[in-house]
Amino acid sequence: MVTTRRNFLKLVGAAAATAPLRAAPAFAQSPSVRIGVLAIKAGVAAPVGESGLRGVQWATDRINAAGGILGRKIELVIEEESNPKDTVERFRKLALQHKVDVISGGISTAVGLALGPVAEELKTLWLSWDATTQKGVEEAMPKVQYAFRSTDNEAEAVMASILAARRFKGKIATVAGINNDYSYGRDTWATFLAIMKKYDMNVTAVSELWPKLGTTDFTSHVATLQQAKPDLIFCSFWSGDAPILLKQAHAVGMTGTTKFVMTTAGGVHESLKKAFTPEGMILGYNCMYFENPNASALLKQFVREHHEKYKEWPNYESDHAYFTIVAYKAAVEKAAKAAGGKWPTPEQVIGALEGIEVESLSGSRRYREDHIMEATFFQGLSTHKNKFDFVTIDPVEAMSTKQIQKPTGVGLYDWINGWKL
Amino acid sequence: MLFLVAAGLQLVFGVQRIVNLACGSFYALGAYFGVTAVTWAVRGGLPPVLFPLVLVASGLALAAVGPVVERVLRTIYDRDESFQLLLTFALVLVFEDVIRFFWGTAPHQMGSLYLVYGQARVGGVTVPVYNLVVIAAAGAIAAGMGWLLARTRFGRIVRAAAENREMAAALGVDMSRLYSRVFTLGVALGTVGGALVIPATAAMNEMGIEVIVEAFAVVVIGGLGSMRGAFVGALLVGVLKAVAIATYAEVEMLAIYVVVIAVLVLRPSGLFARATA
Amino acid sequence: MVGAAALVATAALPFVGGAYYATLMLPFFGYAVALLGMNLLFGYTGLLSFGHALFVALGAYTAAYATSGLGLLHFEVVLLAAAVVGLAVAVPVGLLCVRYVKIYFGMLTLAFGMLFYSFLYKFYHLTGGDEGMRVLRPSLLGRPFAGLGKVEFLVGPYYFYSLVLLAVAAVVMWRLVHSPFGLCLRSIRENPEKAESLGVRVRRLRLYAFVIAAVFGAVGGALLAVPTGLADPLLAYWTHSGNLVFMLLLGGFGSFFGPILGAFVFIFLQDFVMSATSYWRLVFGTILALVVIFFPHGLMGLVDGRART
Repeated sequence: MVTTRRNFLKLVGAAAATAPLRAAPAFAQSPSVRIGVLAIKAGVAAPVGESGLRGVQWATDRINAAGGILGRKIELVIEEESNPKDTVERFRKLALQHKVDVISGGISTAVGLALGPVAEELKTLWLSWDATTQKGVEEAMPKVQYAFRSTDNEAEAVMASILAARRFKGKIATVAGINNDYSYGRDTWATFLAIMKKYDMNVTAVSELWPKLGTTDFTSHVATLQQAKPDLIFCSFWSGDAPILLKQAHAVGMTGTTKFVMTTAGGVHESLKKAFTPEGMILGYNCMYFENPNASALLKQFVREHHEKYKEWPNYESDHAYFTIVAYKAAVEKAAKAAGGKWPTPEQVIGALEGIEVESLSGSRRYREDHIMEATFFQGLSTHKNKFDFVTIDPVEAMSTKQIQKPTGVGLYDWINGWKL
Repeated sequence: MLFLVAAGLQLVFGVQRIVNLACGSFYALGAYFGVTAVTWAVRGGLPPVLFPLVLVASGLALAAVGPVVERVLRTIYDRDESFQLLLTFALVLVFEDVIRFFWGTAPHQMGSLYLVYGQARVGGVTVPVYNLVVIAAAGAIAAGMGWLLARTRFGRIVRAAAENREMAAALGVDMSRLYSRVFTLGVALGTVGGALVIPATAAMNEMGIEVIVEAFAVVVIGGLGSMRGAFVGALLVGVLKAVAIATYAEVEMLAIYVVVIAVLVLRPSGLFARATA
Repeated sequence: MVGAAALVATAALPFVGGAYYATLMLPFFGYAVALLGMNLLFGYTGLLSFGHALFVALGAYTAAYATSGLGLLHFEVVLLAAAVVGLAVAVPVGLLCVRYVKIYFGMLTLAFGMLFYSFLYKFYHLTGGDEGMRVLRPSLLGRPFAGLGKVEFLVGPYYFYSLVLLAVAAVVMWRLVHSPFGLCLRSIRENPEKAESLGVRVRRLRLYAFVIAAVFGAVGGALLAVPTGLADPLLAYWTHSGNLVFMLLLGGFGSFFGPILGAFVFIFLQDFVMSATSYWRLVFGTILALVVIFFPHGLMGLVDGRART
């Protein structure tokens, strides 16, 4: 019995100990806005998580320096995104324990699929950075209230395929795909083939390779591609495997003869060294290109300060993440205005977020009424003519998700087949 | 390259009966350390042609962690092997964060040094000369290990200890010194392997966790504790992967485990091990 | 006595600990059930599985397939299905694995775990690949509790359901290890040759232990999957098996309540350390190393003091 009482007292003690902590901010001179952040910190996608975190941090510093949201300072509560099970637990911790006002973050699709329902259950506003709630290319949660999703995974593959079709029509007969062995890799490749067909490119796929995410040796893959001799290689790598593939392909002389389409490698742009990355390759930077010649003053400032602080040139995840914070701020202000100046309820914020349009780092971005992000994507042909030791793109092409992302409630391939060219 | 990691695993298992889950971590550590060392060396004015020497040197220097880790493992030599497996699992976790702490999360690579030696045409295909250098190095290490184990006094002691450690101890072999050396040699194989492979690729977080599974496959196929088995096993896994990728890329990942289980079930001691292993 | 006390404390937790800590207890119940089985295998029989996550994942996927694939929402049926599937897979796998002991057994189970992981990953039409499969909210004892939100459901009926299930699992396991069967298993751990010579059918009993452990694992996995709402391949990855072994050792294998304590401490420690630092793997690795070196009998070993053999 002693143990019961001790355990019991311990539990009560723990509850009592955490209670004042939770209540403390409410008694401070002005309550803060608590924003929960979920970022990947380890593994292959860790640089992506870090980049998102930097975007959130920058947005927060600026907003707080300018007086916060309706006079309330933003306070970040950062937790780690890992596997779906643990991340669901972290999400619950942010919502139930830290009682945050909104949760920003989420990169992996599997995690997104797990978090979507949890956000609804907990009635906690969730603004994803990169995670969708799509199962393959099908939306798994068509009717959501609390979850706001990223742009579709396939948007960059759609854009890169269109560019490839326009630029290489009649110049290619055979194509090969090397994509990571999971749904993102498979869906981007299927998207590419569908668009090739739509544009009557008359190409044959001579090789399809599916290396595991995180593979560091592509010797066998490159050898297979060498045998297949495709005119064009389509690849949606987004992590450290992108430079490795290019390096190993370059080492056997493939980059000189074969055209490359790298839909997403702009996410690791600094690792695409000129020494092995060819010019004239279609290269995608997702929704933010740090060297955009038409960059806004905001983007220029971010790129400059980012480089001063981290000695790195920023990538797109910063913008996804930055957008979630400024969109939330704008929505709260808009909803407060409608509510007569009072701090709005989460439901009022949701209403304001639907269709909201704000200036993000890369330009104007918005949330569609079905809670999917809209943004402009940047891709182009790789070039060595720059001041860096890695490639950049020139010319820079920009396409809005209005053009490259399927509209609400339509199947991806039906939508592609229905294009009027 | 898999051979070097697997050979390290084999050596340590053969003598000390420890299955070292952390061998993949040493490989990763070697890769990161190699990048850093070469970057420094080149910045310090080293002619790029000499960089493989720097890599080997950095790999060997890093093997200095071997005795330290061995000292930790030594505390539980007298316990069940399962504990040793667990302790090395703990090391995997620790090293993952150590790497993250020192090198961050971004992939590290060496830029253009890979092609310093140019390319060669072998049987109608273009091959980077560096690959040939690495293959030669692996072959040399394999031969060197063979010589070391078969011909030297140290090798004789190692083989004796692998055969019967009580007997070896009874005959006056200083076992703790031997263990320390053997373990360090095993670590060195991993770190040199990681360092040598790095110009062709990039060092990434989690590469240690990825490589361990493949190293295991090699070891199981070749047979625990057999050096020749590690060599053949590595070749076999390499060929198996290449064939799977070239013919039916979908099964790349699956094929290895199926073979591993087949070998374990049909010939648990591996293709090359002594039956008693 | 201690068990009953812990039970009362656990039952009281949702009322005093806040919703978050109550939800954190849910994976604990799942892991505790799985570890009870694993302890039978390691603690009592001496076989350390480094692929036990296979069965946890199997249970989770069974729950996913039953609820979102077949629309079977009765949780009793789901648990039964998980047990049956666990059994069906464990028999052939076990037949192959129990022929070996020690490190070979560990490696073979690791290989099977990774084979299942690759299967989940590869056969995505069947399993959802990396995205996994949704696990829908089940009905308990035929009652859907439709009036409750998911969190209220989880910290209410589901919490107590899991608690009862864990208690039942513990009682079943208690009976098992204190039966002649349990005694035979221990004799196998201590000295298989001697046991064999005394007429204990070593390999068959090892198989039984393996299968029972697998069934507990699968039931634990099903229990685990409901709060997450998703079954994904990482549940079968070898590092997850490593975590299971970690919990087992942390609590103290061989001691009956060790694994339960281990699961509890692991989960709350992870919750705390993960929030405190992003280098939680370093902390956990160090703790594991210290436990292995200095406290091989885990926390229970500390509690029991010298009493344990």
